[in-house]
Amino acid sequence: MATKRRILKELEDMSRDRSSGMQAEVVDSDNMMHLRGWFEGPPDTPYAGGTYVVDIVLPDNYPFVPPKMRFETRVWHPNISSQTGAICLDTLSAKWSPVLTIKTALLSLQSLLAAPEPSDPQDAEVAQMMLNDPARFDAKAREWATRYAGAGDAAPPSEAEKRRRELDGYSESLVEGFTGMGFETRAVVSALRGAGVKRGVESLAEDMAGRVVERLIGGM
Amino acid sequence: MKVTIKTYNAVAYWRWDAPSDDVCGICRVQFDGTCPNCRFPGDDCPILNGKCGHSFHLHCVNDWIQTESSRGLCPMCRQKFEFEAE
Ligand SMILES: [Zn+2]
Ligand SMILES: [Zn+2]
Ligand SMILES: [Zn+2]
Repeated sequence: MATKRRILKELEDMSRDRSSGMQAEVVDSDNMMHLRGWFEGPPDTPYAGGTYVVDIVLPDNYPFVPPKMRFETRVWHPNISSQTGAICLDTLSAKWSPVLTIKTALLSLQSLLAAPEPSDPQDAEVAQMMLNDPARFDAKAREWATRYAGAGDAAPPSEAEKRRRELDGYSESLVEGFTGMGFETRAVVSALRGAGVKRGVESLAEDMAGRVVERLIGGM
Repeated sequence: MKVTIKTYNAVAYWRWDAPSDDVCGICRVQFDGTCPNCRFPGDDCPILNGKCGHSFHLHCVNDWIQTESSRGLCPMCRQKFEFEAE
């Protein structure tokens, strides 16, 4: 009874305060003790743009014992089981306090996504990958975020696209003429711009080429 | 990435409706009402002021202290919860 009043208050508070980004609702209206919460993956992480759904079971003596939380959305993260969604987080076990709430618990899950702790893993396989091959870990975490959490496909630009941006409209063969002399692409492009060379031209008159080289040497 | 904070300006402000001071953090009921375990208004539901500066309904903080995981700590600041003798 006492517990229910507090849970209702918490749900009201979360629906009023959308700014935290933490949301929760009852799964089935007969049972206030079973909730579903969700939040967005933190920015600048492989989880960015994904929506993470958490299954929440409130024990009868909540808030004196922590809510039982489990990721329903599959996550590739060292402190979350890739198989069951079980979570290893002290706030949800030994460090729980009755002044914490469902909202603060969800917030701590969001921070867990941003700050993985591979030395205290829930999923040893994921933790191993993170420690031994961080690039592969990031790629897999991103792939899962796209596949299971609906994160937008913000894949990094392809090599060709990167090169095109780097050249800034200047022709590959023109730039190569200077990079062949040992200058970097970035420096060559900025010297071409500085000397007023038009984009798209394939070759330069001798005096123009001289000016570009002067700029390159001057800029070294 | 490591961030070093060079200067930090604390901005203090008053809020007349500061909820944290007049609400029991455990049951979230205002201190001028009884805790949710006390059914009738007027039941004796005292407020306990911890030496650490945090206050709760006696009934609420008792329920917490009796759980094993509390280790006798204040739910707010995790210092040992001791109350002031009035
Ligand atoms: Zn209380
Ligand atoms: Zn009471
Ligand atoms: Zn305290």
